[in-house]
Amino acid sequence: MKTILIASTIALSATMAGAQTIPQEVTEPVTITFYNYNLSSAGGGADATRKMIAEFEALNPLIKVEGVPVPAQDITAHVQADIVAGQPVDVAQITFPNLGYLAENFGAKALEDMIAPAELEAHFEGMVPNGLELGRIAGKAYGLAYTFSTPVLFYNADIFREAGLDPEQPPRTWSELRTAAEAVAEKTDHLPLATGIYGPTALDWLMLGSLNSAGGSVMNDDRTELTFADPQGVMAIETMRDLAQNELMGNMSIMAQMEGMASGNTAMYLQSSAVQGYLVVGAKDNFEPRTAAMPAFDGYPVKPSNSGAALMTFSTDPAKQRASWELMKYLTSKRGYTVITSEIGYLPLRPEIVNDPEYLADWAAANPLLQPNLEQLSDMTPYRPLPGPNYLQIVISMMDAMEMATFGDDDDVAGQLSSAQERLQRMMP
Amino acid sequence: MSDAPSRVHVSWPGQARRRNTPLRRGDRALRPYLYLLPAVACFVIWVYQPLFEAFMLSFRQWNMLPVSPKHWVGLDNYCNILELPKFWQALSNTWYYLLGLIPLAVGLPLVIALFTQDLPPRLRNLYRGLIFVPMIIPPVVAAAVWRWLLDPGHGIINLGLQKLGSSPVDFPYDPDITLWTITFITGWKLVGFATLILSAADAAIDTSQIEAARLDGASKWEIIRDIRLPLLSPTLMLLILMVVLLGAQWSFAYIHVLTEGGPLGSTTNIYYLLWQFGFGSLSVGWSSASAVTLFVGVGVGVGFGLLAAALFALKSKVTFHDD
Amino acid sequence: MTTDAALRAPLHRWRRRARLLPKGWDNAVGQVLMMIVSLICVFPVYWMIVTSLRPENEIFSSALWSDAVSLDNYAYALGTMPMVRMLVNTFTVSLVVTPVQLLTGILAGYAFARWRFRGAGFLFGAIALTWLVPLQVVMIPNYLLVARMGMIDSLGALILPHVASAFAIMLLAQAMRSFPSEVIEAARMDGATHAHILWQLIVPNLRGTLAPLAILIFITTWNEYFWPLLLTRSPENSVVQIGLQMFITAEGTQWGPLMAASTMASLPILLIYLVLQRQVIASFMKSGLR
Repeated sequence: MKTILIASTIALSATMAGAQTIPQEVTEPVTITFYNYNLSSAGGGADATRKMIAEFEALNPLIKVEGVPVPAQDITAHVQADIVAGQPVDVAQITFPNLGYLAENFGAKALEDMIAPAELEAHFEGMVPNGLELGRIAGKAYGLAYTFSTPVLFYNADIFREAGLDPEQPPRTWSELRTAAEAVAEKTDHLPLATGIYGPTALDWLMLGSLNSAGGSVMNDDRTELTFADPQGVMAIETMRDLAQNELMGNMSIMAQMEGMASGNTAMYLQSSAVQGYLVVGAKDNFEPRTAAMPAFDGYPVKPSNSGAALMTFSTDPAKQRASWELMKYLTSKRGYTVITSEIGYLPLRPEIVNDPEYLADWAAANPLLQPNLEQLSDMTPYRPLPGPNYLQIVISMMDAMEMATFGDDDDVAGQLSSAQERLQRMMP
Repeated sequence: MSDAPSRVHVSWPGQARRRNTPLRRGDRALRPYLYLLPAVACFVIWVYQPLFEAFMLSFRQWNMLPVSPKHWVGLDNYCNILELPKFWQALSNTWYYLLGLIPLAVGLPLVIALFTQDLPPRLRNLYRGLIFVPMIIPPVVAAAVWRWLLDPGHGIINLGLQKLGSSPVDFPYDPDITLWTITFITGWKLVGFATLILSAADAAIDTSQIEAARLDGASKWEIIRDIRLPLLSPTLMLLILMVVLLGAQWSFAYIHVLTEGGPLGSTTNIYYLLWQFGFGSLSVGWSSASAVTLFVGVGVGVGFGLLAAALFALKSKVTFHDD
Repeated sequence: MTTDAALRAPLHRWRRRARLLPKGWDNAVGQVLMMIVSLICVFPVYWMIVTSLRPENEIFSSALWSDAVSLDNYAYALGTMPMVRMLVNTFTVSLVVTPVQLLTGILAGYAFARWRFRGAGFLFGAIALTWLVPLQVVMIPNYLLVARMGMIDSLGALILPHVASAFAIMLLAQAMRSFPSEVIEAARMDGATHAHILWQLIVPNLRGTLAPLAILIFITTWNEYFWPLLLTRSPENSVVQIGLQMFITAEGTQWGPLMAASTMASLPILLIYLVLQRQVIASFMKSGLR
């Protein structure tokens, strides 16, 4: 118990200091820490992130940024442990499902509480409104959407040809997709379809997009009632169940899904555009990878969701808060998104830079796979995190129930979803 | 206990030899505790004290933030865990894992250790060396490599099976098979470890007994059954205890990389399930209740019977005691 | 522990039993089975090494051997990660933890094997039950403790919780119990102290147990992942398992470099094993006591 008592006195004094307004600029040398999961990968993401940090430090000689690599699934735990230990991290890259939990429970700083409205306004100018919405909890911006992607349908053009399908005409709806999948199953040995919708580490981001696209939703607008067992939700799961029960869609862990696609054994793969770089490397000299937009349900507009992460600040010291904000601004500037898009593979949340020769124009012309993804940005329905301290357990349980309703032996989809919804509603705050 | 450091110091070899005065009775009574002190202190600080904290917190809902209140929720956290549809599935899977691991991680190594002991030294060391190799591979990499080898589409093992005329076996994703696949990989990683421990114990057996028996006309099997196995039984007990208490944790990395507990929860075990729900968000209520469930539930349900058996076995083997 | 009487008991059975199989038959079957088991043990490791030598576009190939051998994966792994530094760190931690764990294990094992004392059963049980406490359970309180000691991002914090291990204690207690009591009694008669008996008599003769135990402690420490993950901040203060994990990301796993890094991480352990294994064999050969 003693450990916690001591930590509490430290954190209490720290929280009180946080109530002040922050200085206009950094006047003394200051060092801030930055938890980043791109740094924790050995790929291009780490190099690009280091490059952006170096550029930022060159522009702001008084600020030193200590970039700390932390794997994506561990950042929330790290941030919590540090806060409890009384040493909050300054800036962290937080995946969207965890954003609400940290904002509501762990003293993340809302930008409106630190920064003058005019300055905020100026920075938000030109950013996709849907993207900005992602960082807002109860009307306040706690996070700034940073690395960000939407679901796309990857497909293997060679398998399409082998199955007698036209790679120029990828499926646009789930029923077209089913037809294509049947052709693949009939004429080739390959797995017709894998999706990143299922699998425990996926959480609910892609399911949320699928439910929204079917006219349903995971929960109601004020985040108080779960609604995934409504008729629209049942319809979406029944569509998936039909694919699964006819052995057109496989149930695999995310690693197996990605490897199946990268090694040329899967015809179609619905997944975040963030994995594109990986698939392209695997496809080289092996098959021709293509992308299409997320499929729609017949009669409903497609509403893609998003995966990815926002930047949040937990600094309590005013000078560090200013330094953190300066870093967040730089990383989400036109220059920042140029590096993020061209070198890591996420989407630019400032779409104007795509046609700006000073930024992304040349790169975008050379990389057509990005196009379907960009077109989806305006249709996107921002991801909304589940509320309360049990958010993660609700998500996992909901996904378990949906996996069972899709791949299990019981045909009563509506019944399974309703009983799960009823049970999980009790865990909502 | 306050004079612990000096006491340990006094009983160090070089100095101790010079001490001829007999120790007082009180010192004698304290001595075993002093020898145990470093280890016990380590466990109290790093294991039992945090576990006690977890127990106290398992009746509360709290986000660990010092300024926020700790709500008393009674047994709610436990109810949430017991209500998970996967809980009982995970519990029975845990049993299957243990059931599969005992022959792989204790039975097979025993056979190997006994068999190789009689081989010429060169061959013996070669076999034991080869069998030890899986132990040096990081668990994540082991899981990844095995998934490649077992892949139903392009895995080399299935390609081999197809050549032999069998239809491909869906080792990693068929809900009926996957659990055994993971058990196999966990066991594969452990064979070398258990063989090493058993070989060491086997080699420590007094060879004169075996020679005497051999001169009396005992066959190899009879020597194993009547001399070696009884002498190996405490080590076997230790290994079985270890597999039972640690088995669920050992398979963690393989479940995590290969299946994430799926398909349809068929490979999740109690440890993986509680980890998923308790530690993903560091929610204090869930994680503490998970910890206590694991410790008390598995500890009482699975561990104690064996622990009692092991303690009994060890006690009866005690050979020397002074005072 | 087995007396002459106990040994003589089954003798009459031995003499009567006739040989069922021709001589050498069981040995031949055993050899074949051993070869199969060895192959199963070694093949995945062979696969790891072969994959680490494949060029990038052949990573998913299922050919047993690739004609195009490439060291690119090694160059990449060494270039993107301070692998050498991480290996040195891991080596340092394992090298400190191993003797310390052996020491606490020897002391505690001796206490359990040598004396009857109040609470011995309870303490033994409590030590065995630490196996049931997964690291995640104690991670946060321990993190807070380390933070209070100001040891975050230091190698010391990776060592401290591993000062003692239940396995070492139990195995050593077990080994010491089977140590011939006549030898100890003889030493007692000569007026040897406990320390003398432990360090000059028992420990040198336990090399056959201590060497494999040292190998296992070393490997367990070497493969530790969760605790270093929470504690280390900079790659320079990190251990090699964290480095390996960096090739496995949400955006895809870089198999080639991962296999190269894993091969590099496994080689030192293989060497340690070979060296200590020699020690194990040597101790079997010349142990005069047995």
